Amino acid sequence: MSVHEVVVPQSINENGGLAGFRGIHRRIWNSVFRKPAIPQNELEHSKAVADNFFLHIHSAKVHDRTLKFRTTLGLGLLSFFMFIILVVTGVLLMFYYVPTPAEAYNRMLDLRGAVFFGDILRNLHRWAAHAMVLLVVLHMVRVFLTGAHKAPREFNWCIGVVLLLLTLFMSFTGYLLPWDQLAYWAIVVGTSIAGYAPVVGKSMQFVLLGDYSVGGEALLRFYVLHCVALPAVLLALVGAHFWRIRKDGGLARPHGNEEGDSSNTKATVSHMQPGEAPSFERFPARAGKTYGLMCVVERSSPATKVEPECQVQSWPAALNRELALFVISLLVLSIFALIFKAPLEDPANPLHPPNPAKAPWYFLGLQELVSYDAFWGGIGIPGILVLLALLAPYLEWRKGGEGVWFHRSRSAANWMFLTIMLTLGILTIIGSLFRGVNWQFTVPW
Amino acid sequence: MAPLHIDPERSAPPDEGRRRFLTTVTTVTLATAAGAMSLFNMIFLKPRVIYGSSSKVRVGRPNAFPQGSYLDLPAARLMVRRDGNRFAAISTVCTHLGCTVRATDVGFDCPCHGSTYDQQGINMGGPAPKPLAWYRISLTPEGELEVDKSDIVPFNTYLEVAS
Ligand code: HEM
Ligand code: FES
Repeated sequence: MSVHEVVVPQSINENGGLAGFRGIHRRIWNSVFRKPAIPQNELEHSKAVADNFFLHIHSAKVHDRTLKFRTTLGLGLLSFFMFIILVVTGVLLMFYYVPTPAEAYNRMLDLRGAVFFGDILRNLHRWAAHAMVLLVVLHMVRVFLTGAHKAPREFNWCIGVVLLLLTLFMSFTGYLLPWDQLAYWAIVVGTSIAGYAPVVGKSMQFVLLGDYSVGGEALLRFYVLHCVALPAVLLALVGAHFWRIRKDGGLARPHGNEEGDSSNTKATVSHMQPGEAPSFERFPARAGKTYGLMCVVERSSPATKVEPECQVQSWPAALNRELALFVISLLVLSIFALIFKAPLEDPANPLHPPNPAKAPWYFLGLQELVSYDAFWGGIGIPGILVLLALLAPYLEWRKGGEGVWFHRSRSAANWMFLTIMLTLGILTIIGSLFRGVNWQFTVPW
Repeated sequence: MAPLHIDPERSAPPDEGRRRFLTTVTTVTLATAAGAMSLFNMIFLKPRVIYGSSSKVRVGRPNAFPQGSYLDLPAARLMVRRDGNRFAAISTVCTHLGCTVRATDVGFDCPCHGSTYDQQGINMGGPAPKPLAWYRISLTPEGELEVDKSDIVPFNTYLEVAS
């Protein structure tokens, strides 16, 4: 009886009046995180990563090879960071930008001169866009040279090819928006290239422009593509790209012993190919028991009894590196944006193309090709290259060399790939530096 | 009420068949709807109303044009040529990738990728795949010359104007 007399008033007290606020911060916090504020041990770290919407893109643990800088050179992650920076700065720029031929250029001048922080945001946006194109291309090169596009990652490579095209299309639609000379003539030339596509070319050009010639309708269309349609598709595909990385069993790494012998790592080392990094079979086919918290892949799961000696906790190992890489890239980009102004040419003048009329550097290889033949340079050769890229992992179906830089068994494929990339690079350099008035050959010195 | 009688031998197969039928009907209906929607959305993107510049341009009275010369009308991206009493309108849009060509002593030059054309607009060099377009030119009731840029006529088509 005396127990009741003590307990009942207290519970009334807790649920009523101001006393209800006692400990409310803890209740709110717990409703959001349901976990200790800061995870204290490996188990709590793993749970935090698995249960948090924003962190669960990681597996709880990753292979330490994944985190080695030389595995990825951080390029995929850097591409993603550029995208994030572009979204943030881009949304901010949208608050001032008006997509009409009469206003667009003035708004650029306003951003440069009048709006607080406007020039810095515009510079950041422009340089991040250039950096993203460069980084995505380099990321593709690293994936190929490490054989990471081979089975079972073929489809993720294909998603990657589409991401590259979207990245290029994003930048194409983006540099139209200032409505300066570069913008205007780039879109004249670019949409004319689309017009050379077989069968659908002319109607594609008409739909892109929303008119028979470049004007306000085209600007509006490119604005919607640049600010809404393309980023939405890009973001969705980046999500699929990341998802596939885990579903494909994490980043590519050399095969261990193929038979799935889970005995130990020494056997693996003795089966090593010359030139291959030592590897540890983490997903033996016949494993009896499996870890539950790791990234789950079809067909196989990580086995118990295999010493998880090369697994590291995503939190902190991966998260710390990602944060560091982000901070460094933002820092470098900011310094760049403080020093170098984003270009802005004269206002668009439909009567007089500049001479020479040049696209940004990453399209000058294409422009060089186009100056020989519009169909082959603008549609034929790029089309064949994209098709080749999509088919590459299916053509190179023989196992071996996954996750190893310049693996000997892949040297033929690597040479072909490098030859194509170098050719494109050389064309880009010719277009950038060796073409002058009337697109005549000149020397830059 | 009569007791509900279920004959397992009879009820199972019709049920199967009904499910398959409903599945097929639903799938076909939804696929058709999705296909139609995508098609309509694509057609939606193709403008029916052109807000931009009209394809018809009035270029002035015939006798405003000097004899035997080209008159460049940059805003309309064309030039008008007068030969005696014959008139023609020739596009200044490069047939390669759409830059504006400039008149030179011997014809026309494109600054973008170096195409060259002769006085008639025939492509002579560079990547241009075909001659400059000739547009239909006509006389309005008010006696002004009008060029229809959506109407490309054969090369060397002139309009005779009685003077
Ligand atoms: C928007 C552009 C892209 C973003 C944000 C992106 C992001 C990433 C990230 C973060 C990774 C993890 C490993 C790493 O950092 O290298 C990755 C892996 C991968 N990416 Fe991309 N990527 C993009 C475009 C591409 C392109 C253009 C390709 C190839 C055509 C590609 C193919 C792959 C493949 C196959 C993997 C798995 C690599 C492995 O298993 O080692 N990605 N991507
Ligand atoms: S647009 Fe005239 S040469 Fe290319």
